[in-house]
Amino acid sequence: MTAVLSVHDLGVSFGGIHAVNGVSFSAEPNAITTVIGPNGAGKSTLFNLISGLIRPSNGRVMLRGMDRTGAKPHLMQRAGLGRSFQITNLFFELTVLENLRLAAQRLEPSARLWLPVRRSHRALARVDALIERFGLASKVGELAGALSHGEQRRLEIAVALAAEPSILLLDEPTQGMSHADTADTAKLIRDLAKDVTILLIEHDIGVVMDISHHIVVMHQGKKIAEGAPAVVRADPAVQAAYFGHA
Amino acid sequence: MADMSSRSQKPVDRLGLAMRASHVLVAIFVVLGLICAAIGAANQDTFFLRLATEALIFAGLALSVDILLGYTGLLSLGQALYFGMGAYISALVLKEVPSFWLAMGAVLVASFVVSLLAGMVANRVRGVYFALVTFGLAQVAARAVYNTRAIGASDGLIGIPIVPINLGFGTFMSSSPAPFFIFTLAFIVILYLISAYILDTPFGRILVALRANERRVPFLGYSTWNARLAAYVLAGVVAALSGALYPMLRGFVSPELLFFATSGNAVITVVTGGVGTLAGALYGSVILTVLKSVVGSMTEHHLIVIGLLFMAVVIFLPKGLMGLVRPRIERMLSGGDR
Repeated sequence: MTAVLSVHDLGVSFGGIHAVNGVSFSAEPNAITTVIGPNGAGKSTLFNLISGLIRPSNGRVMLRGMDRTGAKPHLMQRAGLGRSFQITNLFFELTVLENLRLAAQRLEPSARLWLPVRRSHRALARVDALIERFGLASKVGELAGALSHGEQRRLEIAVALAAEPSILLLDEPTQGMSHADTADTAKLIRDLAKDVTILLIEHDIGVVMDISHHIVVMHQGKKIAEGAPAVVRADPAVQAAYFGHA
Repeated sequence: MADMSSRSQKPVDRLGLAMRASHVLVAIFVVLGLICAAIGAANQDTFFLRLATEALIFAGLALSVDILLGYTGLLSLGQALYFGMGAYISALVLKEVPSFWLAMGAVLVASFVVSLLAGMVANRVRGVYFALVTFGLAQVAARAVYNTRAIGASDGLIGIPIVPINLGFGTFMSSSPAPFFIFTLAFIVILYLISAYILDTPFGRILVALRANERRVPFLGYSTWNARLAAYVLAGVVAALSGALYPMLRGFVSPELLFFATSGNAVITVVTGGVGTLAGALYGSVILTVLKSVVGSMTEHHLIVIGLLFMAVVIFLPKGLMGLVRPRIERMLSGGDR
């Protein structure tokens, strides 16, 4: 099987500091690949490089076999990439329905861009499915800004998933969540992986070890290890950099 | 908490609902307008019908400001550029060939091209810088017109001929107050309907998304640059087409049409009427025009009154006049739906 996403020797430096330095890895279809590392390891910068928010200074980003290095975010989205943000990034003054509808409207043929939104049948059907799956039925008509933190985090994932991406980048989806919500979200992400390839940044090590198929460990902008959870856990370099010595 | 949700099987699209409420308000506006036209025509009135026509023309300018400010989140302080351009091009064409449709066609094409080019400049910056660039572009144009002898310089262009307006089913002259008022009403309502239609399409919702959170829009698969430029061009064309009617009403154009006062008045109109409602632009323009005329006939310091009114609206009615009435209509509409 070919990787949905692969990055080769990817790097960027800001004023001489290598925020991400020569990182290579692949995300296999329908697997959960998780990027871990201490704060400042360059995980979010890596996501920004992949999703087109920052232009890499070296290396390549391959999405579904095509070289997409340096493509702008909206072109990466059209190429099949969906992403969520560490800091909730929704349309807070719009309803849950409208957040999802906006995110799903790319599914419509482009001619439908000029018909009233109520005629966007495909997008609206997708919205219904997402509302169901993410348990937001009781909140559809509410403004995204009025939701609880946990609900907003869930909506954040749903919005990223709405346009049926090939790969979903989730940046700390459980950030700030309660224990119960974290467990629910972990289960949700595992379910999602049946339909979509997932690249995850996660701090909750329990969640990481539980749901990841493949783990990439970053430290000071570099990849220091990768492999299956058990392999990574046993890696002495990882223990030194990330878990610390017991 | 969950009382409403269980009821709403088909969730209400709030933006669509708000737009339908605006349609109701515009329908009321049209009815009121027609009543005024009937009264005016019955009394052989000229002054008030022409004043009302002017209010409608400026309502078109305000509409363009609301497309940018209320939907896309862009404050333009230079919409007079397009309004004045429409007026001047219309005047120049009519002086050569007194053809209504030729004038409108020329304005449509010219405003499209100019707003596309100017939009490429203005869209390079955001927020207050966008406001300043739009302001600057309009000032440059106003100064250029003001100093160009060939188009009348500071005197403007006078002696625009009366034009016959042929609508297929009949022809009337731009000088007859009641027909021209009704025509202008229809024209502005059509501009409103086109704008409202566009804002209710997926494309229009991208504009709303830009206002709500521009940073997320690229991740929906849309170029923010293209969307903002399209909104700017749409607004430019709407403003210019409205301005094109001005010389037909007044028989002259002057550089004041391009000045900041014109742009600023349009913003005040939208804020008074209600930002992001479209209907507010129409009501706001009538209120402001009538107020200016009535207060202006009593004192030459009428701008003081306008200024105080503007401050009062911002403080006491931050959502404008429409903010007061539209939510009620929305409730009525959604009640009837279920």
